[in-house]
Amino acid sequence: MPPRTCALCNDARAILKRPKTGQQICKDCFFYVFETEVHNTITEAQLFKRGDRVAIGASGGKDSTVLAHVMKTLNERYNYGLELFLLSIDEGITGYRDDSLETVKRNQQQYDMPLKILSYDELYGWTMDAIVSQVGKKNNCTFCGVFRRQALDRGAAILNVDHIVTGHNADDIAETVLMNIMRGDIARLGRCTSICTQGEDTIKRSKPFKYAYEKEIVMYAYFKKLDYFSTECIYSPDAYRGHARAFLKDLEAARPSAIIDIIHSGEAFEIKEDVKATQKIQQTCKRCGYMSSNELCKACTLLEGLERGMAQAAVTDRARKKLDAVGPAPENLRQIPMFKPPSGVHNSTHVAASVGT
Amino acid sequence: MSCGNPVADANALMQRRKKYDKTNSCVKCKVTQGNLVIRHAVYCKDCFLHLVVHKFRRALEPTVNPKPDGPRRTALKPAGNLLVGFSGGLGSSVLLDLVHRCYVALDKSTMPSDGGRDHPRHERVWKKVTICYVEVCDAFPGMRDRTEEITQHVKRYDDLEFVPLRIQDAFDRSWWEKIGGKSFPSEIGASLADEALFLQSLPSTSADPLTSLRAYLSSLPTPTAVTASIQTLTRLLLLHTALQTGSSHLVLGTSLTSLAVSLISGVAQGAGFNIREETQEEWTPEPETLMGLDHAPDASEGSKTGKKGKRTVRVVRPLRDVGMKECAAWAWWSGVPVVGKEKWVWAGAKPGIATLTKGTVLSRIIEAAHILKRYPDFIVGLEKDYPSTVSTIVRTCSKLAPKGEVSGKCILCGRPAQRGVQEWKARISIRDRPPAPGSTEDATAKTADAEPLQPSLTPYLCYSCHTTLTSKSARPLPSPWPASAQAPLVSLPVWTEARLSSAIRDVDGAEHVHAEIMQTRQVGQDEMKGIVDEFLLDDQE
Repeated sequence: MPPRTCALCNDARAILKRPKTGQQICKDCFFYVFETEVHNTITEAQLFKRGDRVAIGASGGKDSTVLAHVMKTLNERYNYGLELFLLSIDEGITGYRDDSLETVKRNQQQYDMPLKILSYDELYGWTMDAIVSQVGKKNNCTFCGVFRRQALDRGAAILNVDHIVTGHNADDIAETVLMNIMRGDIARLGRCTSICTQGEDTIKRSKPFKYAYEKEIVMYAYFKKLDYFSTECIYSPDAYRGHARAFLKDLEAARPSAIIDIIHSGEAFEIKEDVKATQKIQQTCKRCGYMSSNELCKACTLLEGLERGMAQAAVTDRARKKLDAVGPAPENLRQIPMFKPPSGVHNSTHVAASVGT
Repeated sequence: MSCGNPVADANALMQRRKKYDKTNSCVKCKVTQGNLVIRHAVYCKDCFLHLVVHKFRRALEPTVNPKPDGPRRTALKPAGNLLVGFSGGLGSSVLLDLVHRCYVALDKSTMPSDGGRDHPRHERVWKKVTICYVEVCDAFPGMRDRTEEITQHVKRYDDLEFVPLRIQDAFDRSWWEKIGGKSFPSEIGASLADEALFLQSLPSTSADPLTSLRAYLSSLPTPTAVTASIQTLTRLLLLHTALQTGSSHLVLGTSLTSLAVSLISGVAQGAGFNIREETQEEWTPEPETLMGLDHAPDASEGSKTGKKGKRTVRVVRPLRDVGMKECAAWAWWSGVPVVGKEKWVWAGAKPGIATLTKGTVLSRIIEAAHILKRYPDFIVGLEKDYPSTVSTIVRTCSKLAPKGEVSGKCILCGRPAQRGVQEWKARISIRDRPPAPGSTEDATAKTADAEPLQPSLTPYLCYSCHTTLTSKSARPLPSPWPASAQAPLVSLPVWTEARLSSAIRDVDGAEHVHAEIMQTRQVGQDEMKGIVDEFLLDDQE
């Protein structure tokens, strides 16, 4: 068979079949479409303003490694005028983060970006290893997920940035849409497809890879010779998300556009007004000042359970009642320091024009 | 990105529980020993039969009057007749039986005992009840024709009219004219092999409906698209029949289980904007459909809205709260025979995907989604093992509303289309490369020359129909009818052609379609590219 020419430039030899569109294209066109699609995502949503300080949530895995590279490239190519930082969270799982944190440190040098590593131990006084030794292998993802979200925000506050970008890709989002439908999580279903989430006093968070296929991220890393560590969490159980992922992979195998189609579906509906009215209003945690749906935020509740030796307290409502029945939290309970949003968040200047317009 | 499951509460792990919660006596009468477990609740046979009738009435009756009359129960006065979409499957067999008992035979056992002999509910609600069966055997190689069996089945019930159709009627102009559709002079076909879906006039000698159907199905890119298209064709055939029979209501035998499956497969095909229509839908026909309708024999009977000029057909799924297992139990205990349906097998399609990842609730749903109507036993199995997932899906989706503007109705499926979907698609997956800055001779200029302004079907489609026609599978699908495979230009369903044709004032050529419709419809390919260009490299500083 004669070599095929690229479907986009009609010039170079096609060397890959694009997972997203099925088109056979050359390497340069692949870089072009991949980067331009991310740029389109950024400009369409007007994610950044000139002069923004943006932290890249860097785990050393494929998504964040490629994200750091693409953010740096686009920032220079389109003159976004962003100040970029790397922000890593060390969960304290022996053998899990060590290699990937090395990747992040290398990225720090390659891309010349300041790096901040914040550990659970430093922030909460508990490593994930210590948590698992108390709660066991079941349900520990609740702790890790809740702690990581808050840790990222706190790290961002330390770096005094306005915005965190994370490497969530199209596969992650499609999977979340399906999962939230199947388990009836209306609140998350409503917001899981938004590219940018921002509470009143929290740092903006967005997903520039929202429409980027996981396979293409790997492909990009491969052709750009970016190295990353693929690490499976040693505590991760085979839980609901795993099923959703397997389901999505099957759909993708039958029809590659399924991932984008699911995201489109997720964007094309919203929660009915009368249902929205019944949802909880966001408040501030009375103990640590972080955003919360209850008096105490989830992280403080989890931490209290750990400190008082009743780790399941925030996992189920029944266990929480049991904890309350034992008595109020002791005075000398170790607490998360008060959350102070970065100075720029409240009065962010809207002087500079949005990037890309 | 994520290490696993950030929110792993105990329920998410779907552990098996005891089949029933506390006792094995009926939760309703609390006397008799139970015969059936429905989502951990135990029912005896008598209470169960009443429960099904109650759920059926509760889902259907609030939709009977043109304007719902609040919580107070009033007399049921529909605006027209009733059409029952019958497929021969379990759900529709149960539906037919319930409709007949409750509204034709006026079976006393299906009514509450209070209210006296002259209570309005003891009157017939719909003057005429018609059953419509669409035979799909010609869409699948080697499938048995069941029209005769179905006819015999329907004859068991008295006082019902019966309309048998065939799936290829969707491509039959004589059917279209018979039901009162406006005749259209020129036939327009689309080239489905090309992603641009260009429209062209068909050669004057038109193919017979069966050939057109097979050419259409053979041009579809995936087995999913074939299944989705047959469902759409069937739905539209039923809706037009409803119109022709002066029916204000079309009822379908979609059970809770099948509804969950169609919601999930709708989401997977990008039909999030139309998620509401999967449960309940108001369909207003296009003017092309109504043109000749006043001359149709049955149309003036009964339908009040017809006289006012605007007809709508309300599509209701009265079994949407009744799971497949409950349907099966009802059919068994009430002695309802089920004709059954054959598997929808399309040559070259992979066997059920669930065989790859057996054992998870999701794989069961995907199997169901892919091979819906093929393995009823299997879906009953889903409810047996995971009784809550299906109802959670349905409840979640019932809390959703479409977001964004509507830009008319999709020319294929007749459902509201969301504005701006083509721009969205173009932005997030780039399929065209603009000329590199500074280059004098570039590739895109050439292709632009090669593709002059040609009308395309794309602007008239909703996201999901566009996806159905264009989303390719990794491996191409062989057609079961090599003769009809890869026809360069295929006929479109009659209602689609009628709408395209109605835009042509002069019957000269297809280019007029473009000119006429462009004013009122979504943007075409070139305009789309203009919008994308705004975001592309060469426009940047």
